[in-house]
Amino acid sequence: MRGEDTIRQAIRGIVDLYRNRFDLWKAADSPKIGWVSIQTPEEIFLAAGLIPLRITGELESSATDACARLGNNYCSYLLSCFSEGLAGVYDFADGVIFADACDMRKKLWEAWTRDIPSMTTYFLDLPCYVSAISKEYFAQRLRKLITEMEHRYGRKISEEALREAIDICNRSRTLMQRLYRYKKGGRQVLTGGESIQVVKAATTGLKEHFNRKMSALLEALAAAEPPPAPRKGHRVMICGSYFDQQGIIDAIENGGAALVCEDISNGVKYFEGQIDPDAEPVTAIADYYLEKYTSARRLEIDVRIQHILDLVQEYQVDSVIYYSIKFCDTNLHDYPYVLERLREAKIPVLSIESERNVTNLASIRTRIQTFLESRMF
Amino acid sequence: MEQERNGQRRSVQYQNLLRLIGDLRPDAEIDGPQLRASRMRSIVNCHRLVEAYKERSRVAYVSEQFPTEIAFAFEAIPWNIESMSNMLAQSADVNRILQLTEEQNLSRDICSFLRGPYGMMLANCYPRPNVVLTNNQPCEGLSKLIYISGKRYSVPILPLHTPDTIDEDSLRYLVKQMQYLISQLEGEFGVELAPDSLRAAVEHSNQAREYFSETIRLLETHKLAGVSRELHEIFGMNYFGAKQNAQICKVLFEEALELAKGEEKKGKRVMWIGQAPEESHELLQYMNRVVDIVYWAPLWEANALVLDEDEPLRSMAHRAILYHWNAERMRVDTLRMCETFGIEGFVISNVWGCRNMMGINPMLRDLAASRKLKYLTINIDLVDRNNYTFNHIKNRVDAFLELMQ
Repeated sequence: MRGEDTIRQAIRGIVDLYRNRFDLWKAADSPKIGWVSIQTPEEIFLAAGLIPLRITGELESSATDACARLGNNYCSYLLSCFSEGLAGVYDFADGVIFADACDMRKKLWEAWTRDIPSMTTYFLDLPCYVSAISKEYFAQRLRKLITEMEHRYGRKISEEALREAIDICNRSRTLMQRLYRYKKGGRQVLTGGESIQVVKAATTGLKEHFNRKMSALLEALAAAEPPPAPRKGHRVMICGSYFDQQGIIDAIENGGAALVCEDISNGVKYFEGQIDPDAEPVTAIADYYLEKYTSARRLEIDVRIQHILDLVQEYQVDSVIYYSIKFCDTNLHDYPYVLERLREAKIPVLSIESERNVTNLASIRTRIQTFLESRMF
Repeated sequence: MEQERNGQRRSVQYQNLLRLIGDLRPDAEIDGPQLRASRMRSIVNCHRLVEAYKERSRVAYVSEQFPTEIAFAFEAIPWNIESMSNMLAQSADVNRILQLTEEQNLSRDICSFLRGPYGMMLANCYPRPNVVLTNNQPCEGLSKLIYISGKRYSVPILPLHTPDTIDEDSLRYLVKQMQYLISQLEGEFGVELAPDSLRAAVEHSNQAREYFSETIRLLETHKLAGVSRELHEIFGMNYFGAKQNAQICKVLFEEALELAKGEEKKGKRVMWIGQAPEESHELLQYMNRVVDIVYWAPLWEANALVLDEDEPLRSMAHRAILYHWNAERMRVDTLRMCETFGIEGFVISNVWGCRNMMGINPMLRDLAASRKLKYLTINIDLVDRNNYTFNHIKNRVDAFLELMQ
């Protein structure tokens, strides 16, 4: 029992890192930079002495101002981010970087630059498919970004600093991967909601804090007596757009299923793989971010599908929930093809379209319950 | 497999298309084009359509601003899958086509200019491509649709990524991609690209653009009935690189020159920004009575860029990047248009599902405000009639036209 308490306490510690992020950011002396896409190479900012933090768009209850500027038929996650920017939520940060992870993010960059002039904005071209040529180009863009950071902060970003940043980020990835091994093995250490909170804690840019707390959790898990193997319940994977909707997770878990894998930016997509520590750092960073790129914006859809199928196997997934934020064009375009391929592999799929604030939760809950009940009992 | 191959026979696909477009809505019946250039374009379009459905033809699906000179250099017919949406919009069967996409789980929130072509493919109306050439322009929705269509037909897919940034690295990057794409096409078509073929396509493209630009210059000072619209059509057709396109542009210029002798610029001029319906559409007919509509896209700086005949790929790369919907570059370009063409108002046509248009809306509104121009934003859908009727926007259009008067 004591071991279980230690585990819960360690989980709380990580979740609190996310909950208290604003206090921690404001208390830290280092300059901060916001980002919105997981294709943003945090290593470069860490090497420059910055705190790279993810903008999550969850603090403003209304996105009216953002809608008035960008329009209603727009990704509500990005509208929420913009809304936070307009409300000055990130005024303590020096700037925001926008990777070209979709057309709407590019437009968000332009709107942010125009409407929030107090913050410096940066744009990073991101190839939409992967080849030797695109990797080389992405590495060139990263070198340009490094030069910009050096000029902005008046310090040299050495190869050594980059290697150190790679090491810190790789360590975070390793720790997350070790934690998720428990999920693969069927030991449900975290609820679906906690898993997302843990990944979000990793995206606060407070890497050393995060690594310490994660190490403590993993030590507690290793030291604890493994609980008796649970009855194998129905195992669900969620994939698609930006996702952190607790109401939807509750609808899955309260029905008796387990959310075992999140193939989203707040899930495994964030911490997969490792940057090669022995290669030239910028090339290694560019290669890593392009090779692990399985978001809907990437053109080679079969790479994405193979990645989904691999996760289904690794996590012993029984069914997939394909979640798309309304107006998330890339995920909406992919859906018919993804559905076809998953049906071929005899994997049940439920498609859900919703918005950032999930105004249609009641109907979604009914659909999830119906979908799962027919498969679980 | 054999059955599938028979189903993808182009002769079958051609019959499917004829059945679809043979059933036009009564309100789409229009008088024949007034300009000779328009009639020529119709003939060229009919010819390429017929050719594309022949089994022996090389058909390359392309996105809207793909450097078609490359396709022409390989004697392939570039099939701009999006441009067929306007034809679909006039079909009485449009709902059936869109319904097919919904049955295949494609969201209705996606732009109907993309749902339409997807439905045409599902209805087996498009000619099976030999190869799919895609770039991320004008939007990644289109590039994804084209990419997935390549998977559906099981043909090679050759992508280009056009970066947003313009500098030496991005130009070199795009040139390298084009070189690779050409080498892949050589393998696919089993021919080596003769330097003369590309040079000829580039020459045709430059000739067309020269006439295109000269015609635009006449619009600076004259109201020329139907000319801006025809430029818009030529832009949308993106047939640059074909000899016929150079001839169409030449004829248009000659006609515009003739028209300019008789008519001076009159009335208030507004710029139509965004997707435009067919010329006979009630909305355009209604507005044309009060204002002189000039179309935005043909006036883009990128259209006027002459390709370097010694280094064509590099100048194609430059042009491609200029075609991106970059708000700041478009602001500067649109400001130039306002000053040069005496624009007094904007009509911002926000087609349901077009995120690019929505994304640059703030820039356009700010620009209009700073120049004290009147502007009207209308949310419309030019293909899916479930999303739009004229009555929904008539009050706003009337108010705008009153302001213009």
